[in-house]
Amino acid sequence: MHIPDGLIPLEQCIIYYIIVIIVGYFAVRWARENLDEKQIPLLAVLAAGIFAIQAMNIPIPWGTSGHMVGAAIVAILIGSPFAGFLVLAVVLIIQGLAFGDGGITTLGLNIFNMGIIGSFVGFYSFKGLKAVLSDVPSIFIASFLSLFIPAIACALELWIAGAFPLIAGLYFMGIYHFVIGIVAEGLISTTVYIAINNVRPDLIATKKINS
Amino acid sequence: METKTKKFMIIGLVVAITIAILAPFLASSNPDGFESAAEKILNPGIEEAELYESPMPDYIIPSLGEDPISGSVAIVIGVIVVFILAYGIGYLIKNKKK
Repeated sequence: MHIPDGLIPLEQCIIYYIIVIIVGYFAVRWARENLDEKQIPLLAVLAAGIFAIQAMNIPIPWGTSGHMVGAAIVAILIGSPFAGFLVLAVVLIIQGLAFGDGGITTLGLNIFNMGIIGSFVGFYSFKGLKAVLSDVPSIFIASFLSLFIPAIACALELWIAGAFPLIAGLYFMGIYHFVIGIVAEGLISTTVYIAINNVRPDLIATKKINS
Repeated sequence: METKTKKFMIIGLVVAITIAILAPFLASSNPDGFESAAEKILNPGIEEAELYESPMPDYIIPSLGEDPISGSVAIVIGVIVVFILAYGIGYLIKNKKK
């Protein structure tokens, strides 16, 4: 759901940039106060891994494909939606500037959707679900939502921009990303979580918060 | 840095670079969810406004041509740049005096 240049009017692009700069300020403040120095290598490795996995498009029905975004798993592993924001911001900036994936005017919008909405939805739905479910279903549903909700947001933003009609936009963005959310985001995030939980459970920050 | 943290970091990077090398060979070249939606909704699809030429458009190295190897090189470069940038930002945020 990397939105290219040319679909969103400039003044709307600026609004998304402003929101990203404000959240960025709080993210830096969060990192300065709460990010453990030992978590920096984990943060950097996750950013590298997410950049790689985003290049791996998985086929879904209807001649379409999709890839994981990764905001939820980062937020959950590091223990803050701001971590997901920082990682996705770095990944999306490099994708936009060096690889032409996602526009320049829409960089703010793309960070807003995947970095902010994705991270906050993923992190807080995981926390909420953990109160009633065990780890694995919680991470699966939370990571699914962290992809599906930004896609719905995308449809709404494209509607506000006058690029997509509301119903058709919600319908097509919705069905494609429903499947991408399950196969790309949900399954991979759950696998990564289980793998890290097996070898280095001490790296999972949300474990410490809840136990 | 602790040895086990270093070990985890190296394993993570190896996994990331492996995915990067394999991606151009394995990834689906079908349009993604957004592009498919745009094809269905907009006629004749998205008109991309090229605002500027990125150095590695569509995850290839232009001088190496459009084959998967060129893609692998581009994505590996991306992985390394993202790693260094994320590490650097983390380091700067933590070490800049308040």
